[in-house]
Amino acid sequence: MVDSTHYKKSVEKALNNEKLSEALHLFGDAYLIARENAFRGLDFEELRTELAAIKDEVRLRRKELLDQFVTNAEAAGSKVFLAKDTKEANDYVIKLAKQKQAKSIAKSKSMVSEEAHLNKALSREGIRASETDLGEWIVQLAGQRPSHMVMPAIHMFKEEVAELFSKETGRKLSPEIRTLVDVAREELRKEYFEADIGLTGANFLVADTGGIGLVTNEGNARLCATLPKVHVVFAGIHKLVRNMEDAVKITRLLPRNATGQLLTSYITWIRGTIPCDGEKKEQHIVLIDGGREALYQSKACGDALRCIQCGACANVCPVYQTVGGHVFGSIYISAIGIILAAFYEGLDKAKEIARACIGCRSCSAVCPSKIDLEEIILHLRNQITEKYGMGVVKNIAFKSVMKNRGLFHNMVRAASKLQGPLTSRQEGESSSRVIRHLPMHFMSKDFTEWRDLPSIARTSFRDQFDTLEQKVENPVYRVGFFVGCGADFVYPEVGVSLVKVLNHLGVEVVFPKGQNCCGIPALYAGDWETGKYLAQQAVAAFSEVDVDYVLSICPTCTMGVKRDFVERLADDPQWSEKALRLSDKTMDASAFLENVLKASSQLNLSDEQTAITYHDACHLKRGNNVWREPRTLLAAAGYRVEEMKNSDRCCGMGGTYSFLSHPQISRQITRDKVAAIGKTGAKTVAMDCPGCMIMLKGSMGKADPAVRCVHTVELLQEALKRT
Amino acid sequence: MVENSHLQRFMEAARRVGTEVAECDDLQQAAEYIAAKTSGRTLIPETALVRKYALRKMMREAGSEVYAGKFRDAGRVPAAGITFCNFAMADTGTVVLDSTNEDVRLATTLPEYHFVLVDPEKILADNLAAVEPLYALHDGGEPRFIAYITGPSRTADIERVLTIGCHGPRELHILVVGSLSSDLMEM
Repeated sequence: MVDSTHYKKSVEKALNNEKLSEALHLFGDAYLIARENAFRGLDFEELRTELAAIKDEVRLRRKELLDQFVTNAEAAGSKVFLAKDTKEANDYVIKLAKQKQAKSIAKSKSMVSEEAHLNKALSREGIRASETDLGEWIVQLAGQRPSHMVMPAIHMFKEEVAELFSKETGRKLSPEIRTLVDVAREELRKEYFEADIGLTGANFLVADTGGIGLVTNEGNARLCATLPKVHVVFAGIHKLVRNMEDAVKITRLLPRNATGQLLTSYITWIRGTIPCDGEKKEQHIVLIDGGREALYQSKACGDALRCIQCGACANVCPVYQTVGGHVFGSIYISAIGIILAAFYEGLDKAKEIARACIGCRSCSAVCPSKIDLEEIILHLRNQITEKYGMGVVKNIAFKSVMKNRGLFHNMVRAASKLQGPLTSRQEGESSSRVIRHLPMHFMSKDFTEWRDLPSIARTSFRDQFDTLEQKVENPVYRVGFFVGCGADFVYPEVGVSLVKVLNHLGVEVVFPKGQNCCGIPALYAGDWETGKYLAQQAVAAFSEVDVDYVLSICPTCTMGVKRDFVERLADDPQWSEKALRLSDKTMDASAFLENVLKASSQLNLSDEQTAITYHDACHLKRGNNVWREPRTLLAAAGYRVEEMKNSDRCCGMGGTYSFLSHPQISRQITRDKVAAIGKTGAKTVAMDCPGCMIMLKGSMGKADPAVRCVHTVELLQEALKRT
Repeated sequence: MVENSHLQRFMEAARRVGTEVAECDDLQQAAEYIAAKTSGRTLIPETALVRKYALRKMMREAGSEVYAGKFRDAGRVPAAGITFCNFAMADTGTVVLDSTNEDVRLATTLPEYHFVLVDPEKILADNLAAVEPLYALHDGGEPRFIAYITGPSRTADIERVLTIGCHGPRELHILVVGSLSSDLMEM
């Protein structure tokens, strides 16, 4: 059972480790450049679609392929053992070691051996396992576990390594990387010669040859598989591939996506009992289920077994970069680590880290196997909430209030009046309507110390809509507007701007009053039931109006309508068809303006070039594939976009994440965004998401109040006004 | 010098990953190049092409200390290993060696330097083009150890700083020599 106090302490400790976070940021930046270079001239989307298909075929035919692998491996002299869990796998190795009277085992990297805690199990029997991968050795000497799948010791600094190596060798070593690598080379070389057994993992189990494939850089796996008389392969059953061609195709993606290499230094194909010191080497292949069959059978989560363990989902994850893999991970790290923990170690192991995901979808975008990690994590949250609950605040907020549209909207109206004493005195433009301090001191660290909170608008968009005069004769389109809570209650002026811009371009706007929250906040909290109910409300409201398109200015709502409504209502014949129809005609407002209306050619407004910068909202870019459109529109309207560093990195908002579950992690992520904006020198930052606006208006308000945070449609409307 | 459409790409890709590449007029020139680069125990496993060109004798005459004993007894870190290769891949600068013979494995994993003699006729476009010969090397269902080698051994496990020469050879040298063999199954 994971103790949540322990978890909170570990988050806090990690947040105080600035040096680690800085190192992970530097790594993340360098990784992006190396990866881009490695994929130059290749179509990543095409490659990953192909890889997903390869892995899906394996999932479908796993039993047959496993049989084929075993038959071929045995024909080449290998002994194959199928272990239903890691305990059985460990016991097999222990029994073998005892049989051989083995004193030591030279190990190269095997993540499943971490999962099995094999070293500990061996040590209890008096058998010494020596990790020979440099990073694994460092971690072993430190008595820790890997904090990254590809770079296990990424959390450590050379000074710490020098200290560990000095202790191990009894020599005083300087913290110089070359020296330290040479020490490892020298020290570990004797392990291969003296070990009775060499143990490796496997990147591939090739069914049609009965051989394994190893993808490595250091050369230790080749030594482990060559010098000792016995070779043990320790691998999960999901490493199966149909044939060599599939394995080779995976090697085109794995190193490129893991480290930005075109190929690793070594790829080694080993089959059977190869010659060893004048005899035949003994080879034992231990194939481990350990929860994989259950994961294969899971309709919602099974795609996770497409994973080729490149570690990229950690490399791009803002949460990982902030707290590291010892906090945001278990045996496996980051997004994939959450899912595997749930299936291999139990749901309670995944409970805390599933909530630590901010939902930015960077992992889903970078995954070479096209696993929608973020979506799977959402499903797990739902299971976690069903089993453990979601906390009192969210329970009342979602189940009692939000499901009741009338109550919810009345409460918002009341709150707008009640917040009076807290809001800043300057009235007028929304950027000055903020809450600067909260009276309860204990909350300020999480809330107002580093950002202003948005206040609720005096008149919501829904209460303003009827007063908006739309003079559109012979409209080219009629569109429905799905406003979303952020624009409805906090930034109604964004909705008003959209109506004006659309009217200018000959489009009439319809606003069905029956619409409510899109339900994503409830869904992200794992409250599937409320999410489904809210989806029905929205589908009903928009089914009653006759419109050509439905637009939203919130990409999370757009994603909710397009993807989640369909899924939430799929099993309900009364709703599924309607949800699909709504999904088909829903799109983001900027995408509609540019892709349907070709607004950039109509807007050509000004030669004046006002410098701004642009922040890509996570769900706009990675949820809706929209990022070119707002830039094109802004350029046409007379704004010059000065790109910021990592413009598509999360702003730290993540909905309730920044308020309820992990405000302190948010704070760090936001700090990066604020710095990136500041560096451009631009005094305006545009974005297409009210959630990002809440976060960035709030934090820029504290960091540099001169910088204005606006929605793209507001800037378009202002440009129109000028002409 | 035999020309091959993939040769330039192969050499560029190999150099990019830290391999030293030299073009030689003939095997004799390559032998002298290697002998000048190393001193100390040199492992030359007996393979078909080594026998065909009497490489061990040639290296001895060029001044190398060719190790005559059992390779496992050559010490934990011999000075050099010299091999031919089955084939190579242009896009990544990779050489492929059938290393089922244990001496090939010892000569390519233990030494400080590894020298590979590559005939341009053996260079294939990329790893997809290499799938067929890779299967051919697996013919017959017998035990096999096939090695793809791309540059020297490397690590970035300490502070993500790329460091060459971790557990395998610190240097990989590719010597391009024409008219050795165009048979991808021969090494």
